[in-house]
Amino acid sequence: MEWDWGIVGRTFDLLLLGTRLTLVLFFFSSLLGTVLGLVLALMRMSRFRLARWSSLFYIWVFRGIPVLVILFFAFFVVGRRMGLTSVQAGSLGLGFSAAAYIAEIIRAGIMSVDPGQSEASEALAMTKRHYMRRVILPQSIRVIIPTYMSNSILVLKVTSVAVAIGIVELTGITRQLSNSTTRPIELFTAAAVLYVFLTTVIVVVQEVLERRFALKT
Amino acid sequence: MDWDVVWESVPLIWKGAGATVSMFAWALVIGTAGALALALMRLSAAKPLQWFAIGFGWLFRGIPLLILLFFAFFALPELGILLSPFLAAILGFSLWTAAYQAEVIRSGIIAVDPGQSEASEALGMTKAHYMRRIIFPQGLRIMVPPFTGNAITLLKQTSLATLVTVPEMALLTQRIFSNNFKFVEPIFVLGMIYLAMTSVLLIVSVAVERAVSLKV
Repeated sequence: MEWDWGIVGRTFDLLLLGTRLTLVLFFFSSLLGTVLGLVLALMRMSRFRLARWSSLFYIWVFRGIPVLVILFFAFFVVGRRMGLTSVQAGSLGLGFSAAAYIAEIIRAGIMSVDPGQSEASEALAMTKRHYMRRVILPQSIRVIIPTYMSNSILVLKVTSVAVAIGIVELTGITRQLSNSTTRPIELFTAAAVLYVFLTTVIVVVQEVLERRFALKT
Repeated sequence: MDWDVVWESVPLIWKGAGATVSMFAWALVIGTAGALALALMRLSAAKPLQWFAIGFGWLFRGIPLLILLFFAFFALPELGILLSPFLAAILGFSLWTAAYQAEVIRSGIIAVDPGQSEASEALGMTKAHYMRRIIFPQGLRIMVPPFTGNAITLLKQTSLATLVTVPEMALLTQRIFSNNFKFVEPIFVLGMIYLAMTSVLLIVSVAVERAVSLKV
């Protein structure tokens, strides 16, 4: 068969439109996932049993169920009742899923800080809220960044599942274009290149952040 | 939520469990064999083998799994390779598994103290021999937790096969959406079945970890 790589150039505007939607999903699901993940991580380490258990339960459920099923729920159940658009429902579902993983990453980072730091802060009469924010969290950031960023790559790739609830992000637009032009090889290769480009950007950001938060000695 | 609909949905969705489990099992077996080969290539002295393994990992871990599945399903026929949806899905899942598990196996092997290899060489063992009898058994202990973690991810990701028309559990659930216009109940059932399956795998992984741990 004949290759026709020109098809990528002719459909590039549409592919970029899909990429933009991928980035929108990535941004909102990361935002929701990080905020909720931080809350879950703090709940998990709270002294109230109810808070610990509900956080543990959330993490068990959301990590035990495929993201596809979470998206079905967000779109067909939550989205319909609340009248959300598919992109809103998709961001919600992806964000709630990401939160479960991010919670564990943040918790591991916080626990990696020497307990002597909390003890010393308490000896200095700081409140827990105060020393968590000023002493523990800033130190844990260094441990959190690498795992958080490699998780972000997964979050980016998993936005492709949103095609299952009819969102025409990069994977969705590629599938449509490949059906209408019968050029699947060229188009899926182009989509793969775009994804690899985006994940490479995340890796570069990770390098920059790691350097910025590294201990200055 | 209507519990009658829940109970009606269970057998309809459960019919897809066989496809889910067999995709998982095939991809795990084929992917792990590939991962072992890739890990050994990565650790070999031959540069082209190293590059191949690095390139493979970079490519298949950088691209969303769904794109791999679509490529196998839509693009391979254009190249004259016509796979059934089931085989296309297994191909995609196996490539994914090979790429991720190769990293797990490799990091397990390099985590073993190099003194162990040196001592084995000093005892006149061949590389093939001490890799198999000395290094690998010790690396196994480090590999088990991330390996089972990836296996659980794989099980969940078999749900994506619905998008390449494999009649597994998620596809049968979508069939209930369109036939009965019911959503909450079938999604609840599907979620519970997956949660049960991943929880069983979690228990198995703890048992395996215990089985390979150092007995002191």
